[in-house]
Amino acid sequence: MTFQNFLNAFLFVLAAFAFQTSITGINRKVMARLQKRRGPRWYQQFLDIFKALSKSSISHGWVYDFGVIMALGGIMATVIFIPVADFRAFPNTDNIFIISYVLAVGMLGMAMSASGSGNPWASIGVGRALTNMLAYEVPFMVVVVTMIFGFKTASVGEIAGIQQGLGIFGWNLFRMPLGAIVGFISLQGMLGKKPFDSFIAPAEIASGPMVEYGGKHLGMLFILHDLSTFIEVSLIVNLFLGGGATFLEFGIKYFVVYTLANLVSGISPRFKIDQAVVFYYKFPLLASIVQGFIVIFTGWGVTKWL
Amino acid sequence: MMNSMNNLKEQLKAHYKIAAFEEPTKMQLAFNVEPDKTLDVLAYLKSIGYGQLSLLTCIDWIEIEEFQLVYILFNWDNGIHLLVRTSIDRNNPKFRTIEHIYPGVKYYERDVHEFFGVEFEGNEDSYKHLFLELWEADCPLKKDFDPLEFSTNRYGNRKYETNFPRKVGGE
Amino acid sequence: MAIGDKVELSSWEKLGNFFRGRSVWMMWYCTGCGAIEMPPTMTSRFDMERLGMGPMATPRQADILLVTGYLSVKTLRRVIYSYEQMQDPKYIIAFGACAVNGGIYFDSYSTINKLDDYLPVDMYIAGCMPRPEAIMNAFNDLQEKIRNNEVDGWKRYKKNYDQYKKNQLKAVGEVYVHDEFHE
Repeated sequence: MTFQNFLNAFLFVLAAFAFQTSITGINRKVMARLQKRRGPRWYQQFLDIFKALSKSSISHGWVYDFGVIMALGGIMATVIFIPVADFRAFPNTDNIFIISYVLAVGMLGMAMSASGSGNPWASIGVGRALTNMLAYEVPFMVVVVTMIFGFKTASVGEIAGIQQGLGIFGWNLFRMPLGAIVGFISLQGMLGKKPFDSFIAPAEIASGPMVEYGGKHLGMLFILHDLSTFIEVSLIVNLFLGGGATFLEFGIKYFVVYTLANLVSGISPRFKIDQAVVFYYKFPLLASIVQGFIVIFTGWGVTKWL
Repeated sequence: MMNSMNNLKEQLKAHYKIAAFEEPTKMQLAFNVEPDKTLDVLAYLKSIGYGQLSLLTCIDWIEIEEFQLVYILFNWDNGIHLLVRTSIDRNNPKFRTIEHIYPGVKYYERDVHEFFGVEFEGNEDSYKHLFLELWEADCPLKKDFDPLEFSTNRYGNRKYETNFPRKVGGE
Repeated sequence: MAIGDKVELSSWEKLGNFFRGRSVWMMWYCTGCGAIEMPPTMTSRFDMERLGMGPMATPRQADILLVTGYLSVKTLRRVIYSYEQMQDPKYIIAFGACAVNGGIYFDSYSTINKLDDYLPVDMYIAGCMPRPEAIMNAFNDLQEKIRNNEVDGWKRYKKNYDQYKKNQLKAVGEVYVHDEFHE
C-alpha cells in the first residue's frame, strides 16, 4: 500500500469513466443505425453528463443527498477492485466476494436516495429494481460459486488467468457453455437493458428511481451508471471470456460484449417485473444448477478439458 | 331491426302517449317527453334493454326561454340509439337527477350544471366543478355569455401589425 | 435586463454554456394537437438526437419546456408547476399559433392568448402546425443563442417574479391545484 497504489486507483477510476462513457456514446450511434437514424456525436454522452453537472439542483433532504454520494462512492470503490489485464490497483484484492459486497453499498445508496426523494414513482422504481436484482443474482451467483468450486479460487484475476493460454477454447464460454449463457442473460438484467428494464420505464413510471433527480444529482447518477456498467461488463469479460492479456484485448472484448447487450436490447420488448422474475427462476436457474452438477460430479470443463 | 324500432314506437305510444317521432339517421330515434314523465320513461327504457347512457347534454334555446336536456341511450342488443328530449324553464333551471337509474350520469350532470347552470336535485355532487377549476364567472356555454369579451378582458389580446406594406416586385 | 443585453460572464458560466448549448433535454407538455409532431421529430425520419436533443421523462431532468399547443386555464396551472420544478437554467419554447396569440382559440373563454404574460418564453415557433423541420430549426437556433448567452428567460422570471405572478393570478385565480381526485 504505497502512495503509488492510491494514485493508480484514482487514475483507474478516471480511465474507467472515460472509457465506458466513450463506449456508451458509440453505442448510442450503433443503436441509432439499428433504427435507421444517424445518431448523435460519439462524445454526446460526455456533453450530457457535464451539462447536467453545470446545472443547479435542489435537495429533498439529507437522505437524498447523502444517498447519491454514498452510491457514487461505493461504485467508485468497487471499480478499484476490478482487475483489467494484468493491472491491479491494490494487489490481491480482486476477490469476487469483495466486489459483490462493495457493489451492494452502491446499490443500497441509490435505493436509499431515491426513496428519500419522496416521490411515489421513485419508490415503485426502487421496488422494481431490487426485485429485478433478486431475480438475476440467484442464477448468476450459482454459476459464480460453481466457478469458484471448480477453479479453487475466488480471485477474478486468477479465474481470468486460468482461461488464458489455450486460445479461445480455454475460455469459460466453452468450458461452461450453460453457465456462460446464464451469465449473459444475467448481464442483460444487471445493465437494466431490455427486456429487463421495467424499473426505469420512462413513459410508465417517469424513469423510476431517477424521477426526482435533476442538475448535479442527475449528473452524478449518470457517472454512477457508467461506472456500474463498467463493473458489470468487466466481470463478465473476466469470468467468461478470459479477461485479456493486454489492455487492447480486454477493451475489444469489452466493446463486443457491451454492444451485443445493446443490440439485444434494441430489438427486445419489455418484461413486466413479475414476468422477469419468473423468467429468471425458470431456464437460467435450471441451467446454472445443471452446470453446477456437471462441474462438481464430472469435472468436465475444469479437470477434464483438452 | 325495423321491427324492434316499430315495436318500441308502439309501446311508447301505448304507455306514455308519445306520438311524434323523428329518425335523424338510420337506427336512431328521437322524441320529446314531458318533464314530469321523463324519469318514468327513462326507467322504462332501461328495463327493456337500453342499458347504456351515452350522453346527457343540454341546448340553450334562448328565444323561447328554454333549456332542452337530451339523454342519449343505446341498446347493445339491437344497436338502436334513442334521443330522449325534455324541456325545462330557462329562468328557473331545475330538474331531477336520474342517478338512481343510470349511476354514471353523475358526471354529465355536473358537466351540465357547470356549463349551463341547470340544478339537478338529488345529485349531491352536482355543485362541484368538473372541468372549470375555480371558475367564478357566468356559465360559459349559455347563449348570453360573450366569450370574446370575456377572453379579451381576462387574457388580453396580442397587439401586432396586420397591415403590411406590399413589397413585391422589387419595390 | 432586456433580451439581447450582453453581460460579462465568468469563465465557469462560459464553460457551462458550452455544454448547455450542445446538449438540450426537453420535456414537452402535450396540451394540444402539437404533440403529434413530436414522434416524427424523434424517430428515424428527422432524428433529433443527432443535434443533441433528447426527450426526458420529468421536469426535474429537462432543460427545455416545449409547450405544444393551446393552454387552457386548467393546464396553465400545471404548466406553471412543471416550469417551477425545472432546474436552472431552463428555457421555454412556445410551439404553434395557439401558444403565440391564441390561434383559433383567440375568443375561447378558457384558453389563454399570450403565454409570455405568464411564463418567460425564449423562442416561438409560428405555424399551425409547425412541421418537424421548424422544430429542429428552432432548437438549433436556441442552441446557438445559449452558446452566445442571448437567452435569459429564467433570469427574467426570477427578476420580474411579482409581475409574472400577478398576471398568473389574474388569469387562473389561484395557481395552487385543487383537485378532488388528489386531495
